[in-house]
Amino acid sequence: MVELRSVKKIYKERTVLDVPQLCIRDGESVALAGANGSGKTTLLRILARVLRADCGTVTAPDDVLYLPQHPYAFRGTVLDNVLIGAKEEREKARQLLEELELSALADKRAQSLSGGELQKLALCRVLIRPCALLLLDEPTAALDTRGTELVRDALARYKTQTNCTLVFSTHAPQLAAKADRLILLRDGRIDAHGGTPAGTQERP
Amino acid sequence: MDSIKQAFDLLFSLDKELFRILGVTLRMSFFSTSISCFLGLPLGALIGTRQFRGKSFLKKLIHTWMGLPPVVAGLLVYMLFTHYGPFGRLNLLFTVTAMVIAQCVLITPLVTGLTASFVETASRPIIETARGLGLSDARIVLLCLSEGRASLLSVVLNAFGRSIAEVGAVSIVGGNIQWKTRVMTTAIMLETNKGKFSFALALGIVLLILAFIVNAAASWMVKERSDG
Repeated sequence: MVELRSVKKIYKERTVLDVPQLCIRDGESVALAGANGSGKTTLLRILARVLRADCGTVTAPDDVLYLPQHPYAFRGTVLDNVLIGAKEEREKARQLLEELELSALADKRAQSLSGGELQKLALCRVLIRPCALLLLDEPTAALDTRGTELVRDALARYKTQTNCTLVFSTHAPQLAAKADRLILLRDGRIDAHGGTPAGTQERP
Repeated sequence: MDSIKQAFDLLFSLDKELFRILGVTLRMSFFSTSISCFLGLPLGALIGTRQFRGKSFLKKLIHTWMGLPPVVAGLLVYMLFTHYGPFGRLNLLFTVTAMVIAQCVLITPLVTGLTASFVETASRPIIETARGLGLSDARIVLLCLSEGRASLLSVVLNAFGRSIAEVGAVSIVGGNIQWKTRVMTTAIMLETNKGKFSFALALGIVLLILAFIVNAAASWMVKERSDG
């Protein structure tokens, strides 16, 4: 269970996040939508414990994985990057690279990838390990339609295998539509939340 | 021009005393830079990556220590190792070891402060990505040091530069003893006091050549590793 109560984050006297209450059930997938600066990233960073809330309480599992909006490509090859912290999972790494159509780049230097390729690599790096709560900050921001579909399918497979709670921010309607619930943020506040049409039929 | 000619004449004359001074200088700078970096790089990376109570105060303290006058550092170490001091029994005063200790007092805060600043600013995406992957703090520190090694080279070279050019602390705890603790800077000071300005300047040029060779070698090594 993920729960936020009276959580606030203030930057230079501007309230960037103000969530009186938010509960996310175990295994639920939640899409965060909203304009730039609406507080999506701040909310995800607080849940990932990368950022501290100025007040309020945050309850989340310890076993959290977080994919930032601008992931970093570490030195070494694409495969080396996927294996960071998961050295034993070489087979799984190759399978993930295959699924996200990065196999041909496995031995290429990760720091020479394009923005879209890096985003897919960063997702492989996260999906190689299981977790209870998966947080993704605009995982398809740099991807084309094909890339977005690949990410959507990879997430669906991961979700089926691990039954994790998934929270992601996105501007891609086809990805948001696959969530159980859509939360709309405006100026750091939850403007509306409710089920998505696909949420009742299939999970991403 | 005379000094430049004299500098090269000195180097090629294979003067025993000059090479002894060069040897002591290199040995002292190598050990003080290595020890300071061994302590300061991980400590700085840890301060840069972690959020904790009192961090701001600790950084102010380190930045203050970075401006410590070398003679004060020398005096502190002198008082510790003098015959009546707490470590007087070790008989380290007027040895290269004491000079290395005095330089570590000076240089470790410099390495720590510069590394912390670098890690806090340049390594933010590294830290956020690594934290997102659930990596341990120790692993994140190692990743920051490894990923930023090209930039951190300037920190190491800065430390080496401070060590090789330092005169106040080493003259107090080393004593500028011929064949034993005399280094390039204290030799230059001695020659200047004797009025041999041209010879002192020649020694200064030798010191610059030495620093240039070390800088070039270090840059080349990092470039090789990055390309490799």
